Amino acid sequence: MSVLNLSGQRRRAIRENLVAYLFLSPALTLIMIFGILPVAFALFVSLHRWRRFPEEFIGLDNYQRALGDFAYVAFIWVAAGAVAFACLILWRFFKQNRSRPALFAYLIPGVVSAAAVALLVNWVVIWLPIVLDIPQRLRTQARSGELFIGELIASFQMPQVVEAGNWMLIGIVAAVALSIICYLLIKTEDAEKLLAQAASAFFLLIVAAFTLQLTGSEVMIAIDAAREAGEELPIWTQAAIISAGVIMLGAAYVLWRGANRGGNLRFVLQFVAAAMLMVGGYAFIGELPLLLSGADSNMLRGFNITLMYTLGTVPIQLMFGLLLAYLLFQKIKFKSFFRMMYFLPYVTPFVATSIVFGILFSHRPTSPVNQLMTALGLPVQKWLLEPTGIFQLIFGPQVPDVLSGPSLALVVIILYSSWTYIGYSTVVFLAGLGNISGELYEAARIDGANEWNVFRRITLPMLSPTTFFLTLITIIGTLQSFTQIWILRTPAASSSVDTVGVYIYETISQSTPNMGYGSALSLVLFTVILVFTLVQNRLSRNRVFYG
Amino acid sequence: MADTALPDLSTRSESHSKTRRRGPTFRLGRVLIYGILIIGLLQAVFPFFWMISASLMPINEVTLGYLLPSQPQFNNYVDAWNQANFSQFMWNSVRITAITVAGQLIFCVPAAYAFARMRFVGRNLIFGLLLATLMIPDVAILIPNYLTVIWFGRLSDAVLGIGWINNWPALTIPFMASAFTIFLLRQFFAQIPEDLWDAVRIDGGGHLRFLWSVVVPLSRPVLMTTVIFAFIGSWNALLWPLLVTQTDTWRPVAVGLTKFVNTDQPTALHLQMAASVIMIIPILIIYFFTQRQFTEGIATSGLKG
Repeated sequence: MSVLNLSGQRRRAIRENLVAYLFLSPALTLIMIFGILPVAFALFVSLHRWRRFPEEFIGLDNYQRALGDFAYVAFIWVAAGAVAFACLILWRFFKQNRSRPALFAYLIPGVVSAAAVALLVNWVVIWLPIVLDIPQRLRTQARSGELFIGELIASFQMPQVVEAGNWMLIGIVAAVALSIICYLLIKTEDAEKLLAQAASAFFLLIVAAFTLQLTGSEVMIAIDAAREAGEELPIWTQAAIISAGVIMLGAAYVLWRGANRGGNLRFVLQFVAAAMLMVGGYAFIGELPLLLSGADSNMLRGFNITLMYTLGTVPIQLMFGLLLAYLLFQKIKFKSFFRMMYFLPYVTPFVATSIVFGILFSHRPTSPVNQLMTALGLPVQKWLLEPTGIFQLIFGPQVPDVLSGPSLALVVIILYSSWTYIGYSTVVFLAGLGNISGELYEAARIDGANEWNVFRRITLPMLSPTTFFLTLITIIGTLQSFTQIWILRTPAASSSVDTVGVYIYETISQSTPNMGYGSALSLVLFTVILVFTLVQNRLSRNRVFYG
Repeated sequence: MADTALPDLSTRSESHSKTRRRGPTFRLGRVLIYGILIIGLLQAVFPFFWMISASLMPINEVTLGYLLPSQPQFNNYVDAWNQANFSQFMWNSVRITAITVAGQLIFCVPAAYAFARMRFVGRNLIFGLLLATLMIPDVAILIPNYLTVIWFGRLSDAVLGIGWINNWPALTIPFMASAFTIFLLRQFFAQIPEDLWDAVRIDGGGHLRFLWSVVVPLSRPVLMTTVIFAFIGSWNALLWPLLVTQTDTWRPVAVGLTKFVNTDQPTALHLQMAASVIMIIPILIIYFFTQRQFTEGIATSGLKG
């Protein structure tokens, strides 16, 4: 009876699993195709010469074109990061299982599973170009479903695909079999976790090895080519110096944090940290321009513009948003009316409001903003048509180009973006203020704190999660912004306002699109956004107060 | 990471500033506060005011920078509507939204239900993976998705005779399964009382029946929010539709307006303004009617950017 009962329960559980996956599979398939796999696909595309269709594997050439020799250093760092991460996972694995040495047996199916995943990737990489090329191959034929499906089936039967597929199958079967054997021999409840840890660590190591091999061979080719031209290409030394610089910067940060707990040694530690900071910073700042000297100047300019745009927009909108939210949080009449109106610029489509700003800031002497300038006794400006930097405009042409700052056209776009984002941060800040407990305020008042101290000591710290969220969202938003710049750019000033986002769009939408290069650029931008996010997350860990 | 920092956007608590100091400094403070708030209001609203004002002017008054039209020209709206071919674009945007929403309901509702009310192997892992996709910026997946859509378009064109590029699939299918929508629906579905599920089971019903006859009818507000999101998304999107459309047959309003403004011979400014006003109006209507959902949705999702 009890056995029957158990099997009934079991059957129900299996049924539930099946139904759940049935419910999930359509959405998961779509999200896989259009949300997760594209990141890997972008990497794949970026390693090829790829205009409209895949042509050939060219390794890191697209990255080299974008970043100059710094591309090699970046990929070495990626490999080093993968190794470090793998070591971290393995270290955790060993630490957790020190008391149960039998569990180390799970490393074996882990290694085989990692190899199976690598073989799967290998099969996809061989099969994918053949499939993607089908439309190109059928271009001259009449449109026919049978032909297309036929080609699709044939792609699975190509000898190289079949060979890779066999290896993949062997790998998967071996991995599954070994995992089951291992589980039967050493039963443990966290078997999946152990297996996942081991497999991901070894897969990261495989990725690192592949990356290093690719990068190393490309560097060698580049050095040989330079030597034939009678030049020395000191990539390895440069890479070593800049890596040492970055490691020193990181070490300085750790040391500085640790110094506070150092007791008598505190000042010594801080001194050492400061020295390391300077040496590391010098190495980094000294080497970076050399490594980037061969980079795509349009892309560098795009990044420069994007950075100025972000640095201009984010602080302005955060400050004004906080001010308005704080004032609105007092006992105010028509509060919800104010809130609704402040939010309006963010709600309305960027396309429409950008057009309005374009006309408000047009170069005509009678445009609304120029009328205001005249009324204030200031010279009329060309605004969106003005590629000159604002510091040069204000202080005269003697200001060097490096220090000329964002162009006036970019300043208008910064103003526009701040205008749209102020209402957004006001609304979010207002919600954050509402979440602060009233008791804190009362306690402070009883202690006799004045308005400013309450703001400084209670409101700001308690708001820090909101500020963190807002900063992150707006930085990510502005780094990849496209719409407002696309509308507000003019041919006269476009070279001073085109952000990376616009440059990427131009790369893939011109009459001879370059998908490979565009993908490389977008992954570089993605990496920058990721690094920004991680650094900000790390730095704010001590400052953000999660109540 | 972002969701730990996500502020609770319900504007429940009113202000806590309890102390009310009396006297002249207090009154001065109030005046200052209102003064700054009104300046903030003016900067937020002035572009809209001028936009509407300019949309009613004859062309020479716009170029001369009048603040108000001497004689409102309501005809501008008719001209802009016709010249910008707005009937077509509005219809396109409505069609795109409708298809996207229908797809989202079909794809996301069952998935959200599974996450909220079913036990299965790997639930937390898959849900975590889903949330991680929210961190991937659009620009990273733009090109691969474009290539994918081109390829699927060729396949579907050959087999079914429906191309994807310059047609509805490219504009809707990639957005049908959205991690954010699944997350939103899941949070709502998880709150539905367990008693109702027991009742359905006693009646001999299964998950499908529970989902269809209890969960979906109870979730009308959150489904409405989903519809609003889809609408805002398809109304504002520019980069993707610009990439995957070549003719006006399926171009949404944002692309239509951009093309109208950035043509070779510049469009008359007053008509540009009128066209922009026309594009804003539907969003404003929805905003004023569904303010709470709208604000929360747009603020938490970072839908625009």
